[in-house]
Amino acid sequence: MKSARFAEILRLLATNDVEFIVVGMTAGVLHGAPVTTIDLDIVHRRSSENVARLLRVLGELDAFYRHDPRKLRPRDSHLGGPGHQLLTTIHGDLDCLGAIDDGKSYEDLLDRTTTITLAGGSVVRVLDLPTLIEIKERSGRPKDLAVLPVLRATLDEIERRS
Amino acid sequence: MTLQSRGAADSPAEPDIDENGVDRAQIRAMLELTPEERLRRVEQFVESVLEIRRLNEERPVR
Repeated sequence: MKSARFAEILRLLATNDVEFIVVGMTAGVLHGAPVTTIDLDIVHRRSSENVARLLRVLGELDAFYRHDPRKLRPRDSHLGGPGHQLLTTIHGDLDCLGAIDDGKSYEDLLDRTTTITLAGGSVVRVLDLPTLIEIKERSGRPKDLAVLPVLRATLDEIERRS
Repeated sequence: MTLQSRGAADSPAEPDIDENGVDRAQIRAMLELTPEERLRRVEQFVESVLEIRRLNEERPVR
């Protein structure tokens, strides 16, 4: 990875009408959790039209598989499935996830999202904080459990404000 | 005046750390920012790490 311009990746996806949801710790950051992360995780809609739009943006971002020495490029057959495509781009590492939390797709998660607006007016869908916490609780992995106190405290502070 | 007798006037305020060790003041500071500003903070952190890595490429940190 040579740079980290996650907002630019989000802007490119949004302006090209890619349907996606920001998940993972970047979603936590966008909600206000004082944590850090070195990649951007999205769950994309796996329809053929959306995968085609996503592939166009990934081409613009010069995306390839970051753990593959052959620098393979993602294809529609990869992005059309539920697997996790771990990519690197000119603006930072980007994980395109076909499904998360034991098979939940873009459509399954849609009702558990909020929207944020970036500078320039691009609107981005983000997994809501209670759902992010639930998913990390269910995962039970040490790396997910470790961030739960900060995510729960962030939710508590947000609720105190409202 | 001895160091002890200065009292509360010279003492920093108690940090707002909750029972899990989470700094609540940091969260409140983040909530004052826009979502994009929050993301910029992460970007700046990662960029700093990348810069340190670049500077040490010839002489890896041990």
